[in-house]
Amino acid sequence: MRMKAYLRVRCNKAYLATIRDFVKSRLADLEITGPISNQIVLAVDEACANCMIHQHQCDNYSTIEVVIYREDSTLYTEIKDTGKAFPLHEYQPQQVSDIIQSRGKGGMGISLIHKIMDEIEVQERRDYYVYKLGKHLGKTSTPLA
Amino acid sequence: MTIQEHPQDTYITLVPHGELDANSSVHLDERIQALIEQGQVNIHIDGADIQYISSAGLGVFVSYLDEVAEQGGKFVLSSLRESVRDVFVILGLDQLDNLIIVERTEDVPAHF
Repeated sequence: MRMKAYLRVRCNKAYLATIRDFVKSRLADLEITGPISNQIVLAVDEACANCMIHQHQCDNYSTIEVVIYREDSTLYTEIKDTGKAFPLHEYQPQQVSDIIQSRGKGGMGISLIHKIMDEIEVQERRDYYVYKLGKHLGKTSTPLA
Repeated sequence: MTIQEHPQDTYITLVPHGELDANSSVHLDERIQALIEQGQVNIHIDGADIQYISSAGLGVFVSYLDEVAEQGGKFVLSSLRESVRDVFVILGLDQLDNLIIVERTEDVPAHF
């Protein structure tokens, strides 16, 4: 039976550190450490920050839930969010040169998620959306530039 | 996030302590913006005490790169821990002309 770990936090950016600690700890329980753990923690942090900031405008009364589990050789994290859907799986990452020229700060988080994770899926449920991110274990992201 | 500052002859060294995420990176952002407005466009970041960086932390540097380059300046980052450096590498930000990553603080050029 696969064990799932759950964490629910308010949509307050101060809780991003709590999410990172939770993910890192759960990954360690699953004996996933080192660079691959750091990358998964980063991808989940980016996805949660995206939900908090863009889907909930950091509304402290809203919450998101993070779920982690392993199925065979794939590590899955799910972010359950009652905000409006964000088509994370369809997003076309911007070129870094375009981001630099725009002098903006956004756009790189989604790029990181796409470069780190192997599976990105958005599932629509009755009352919420699930952002499901899968990482094939034994594989770390390498420089793509 | 706390930030120490050490003015050098031709640049300024900032030493941030803590995590650079969507919640905490605003402090470094405000400080860098103020420095650029004062005409200080050569900025060395001693990253030995940056424990974590997300895209929000990267954005602090990337959003000012064009402006800094326009004025002939650049960022030099040194002493990054491997997990932090990897985030720059994943996005190819270690290949830019105006954002230089060096291994150690001793490797920071005297003039840049």
